[in-house]
Amino acid sequence: MSQLIKVTRPTKIELIKLRRRLTLASRIQKLIKDRVSILVMEFLQIAGQTVEVKKGLLDDFSAMYKALSLAAGYHGYIALEKELTASEGGLEVAAGLRNIGGVKIPAFELKKDKTTLRGYSLIDTSSWLDRTAELSEKCLEAIVELAELQRGMAQLGMEINRTKRIVNALEHLIIPGLQATIKYLNMKFEERDREEKSRLKRVKVLLERK
Amino acid sequence: MDSGLPYDRMLQKYLTGELRVLNAHLPGSQKLLSDLWDEEYPHVLCNDGSIHLFKRKELKYLADLIDADEQKMLSLPILIEVSAGRTEMAVLCPGEVEKKVIQKVLDMPLDVREGRISLYRPQLALVRKLLKTTTQYVFSTQL
Repeated sequence: MSQLIKVTRPTKIELIKLRRRLTLASRIQKLIKDRVSILVMEFLQIAGQTVEVKKGLLDDFSAMYKALSLAAGYHGYIALEKELTASEGGLEVAAGLRNIGGVKIPAFELKKDKTTLRGYSLIDTSSWLDRTAELSEKCLEAIVELAELQRGMAQLGMEINRTKRIVNALEHLIIPGLQATIKYLNMKFEERDREEKSRLKRVKVLLERK
Repeated sequence: MDSGLPYDRMLQKYLTGELRVLNAHLPGSQKLLSDLWDEEYPHVLCNDGSIHLFKRKELKYLADLIDADEQKMLSLPILIEVSAGRTEMAVLCPGEVEKKVIQKVLDMPLDVREGRISLYRPQLALVRKLLKTTTQYVFSTQL
């Protein structure tokens, strides 16, 4: 691929500057490449976990609805609704951030109520309702975990895309461009040396003739 | 390293900024496991001003791996050093507790060399899977 050679003036100082810039660009390229590989590793791990959690959530949902329909059949809808209205409670989720190689990913944690009571009468209800409540709590935890994982996956995906573009720009455009310019300057200096040598030889011959 | 071309100057600034971003997320100071355990929302403040939250589940997992005295010596987050162009990563191990934790997580004996435990990527993936919030990456800029 032909490279664009941009030199303001072909001097030794310019060559030194370009060499320094090339060293910096290569250093950054190596680091960013490592960062991409780490981000990809984390992305794949999160993707795997997302699949696991989603599968578990679907299983829990199906078990929960099964238990709920059994509880509804056992108690009747009106009695069940009466019991469950009293059990409504707030949900507390601690939200923060965690950082994976410079990518901020949300971290959620469902705060568990320390009391074991669920708000409905244990005497008037059956163990089917207990089972339903237990499974729905499990589902809630999985939903919060899934939200964290899916958002994390999206964030990581975007960052991988962005970083890959930088790596590609460095690898295919900036570094080859700098190398081509350095090569061009070196050739220019060699040419100057050759010109200088031939000029000196010519002067020497002229002086000898005199 | 300043060049006459504005494009080059911009590129230079951008590349240096990219280096700065890599380690901006590092914690200002590490906290002991025993102290974090008492906090309502266990967290550390990062250099870029953001808050890194630890998961209680992970803290409990760590607390189960070591005894009460060792919990007072384990600084979190545990730092994982990534050096450019190297296949293995290194867990920074200032004390014996970190070594014990990583050994138990990986379920294998490990050597500490110059305060670091070298890990290969599959091992690192396992550590990161179990200790998602209690470990953090440090990008080493020395080449």
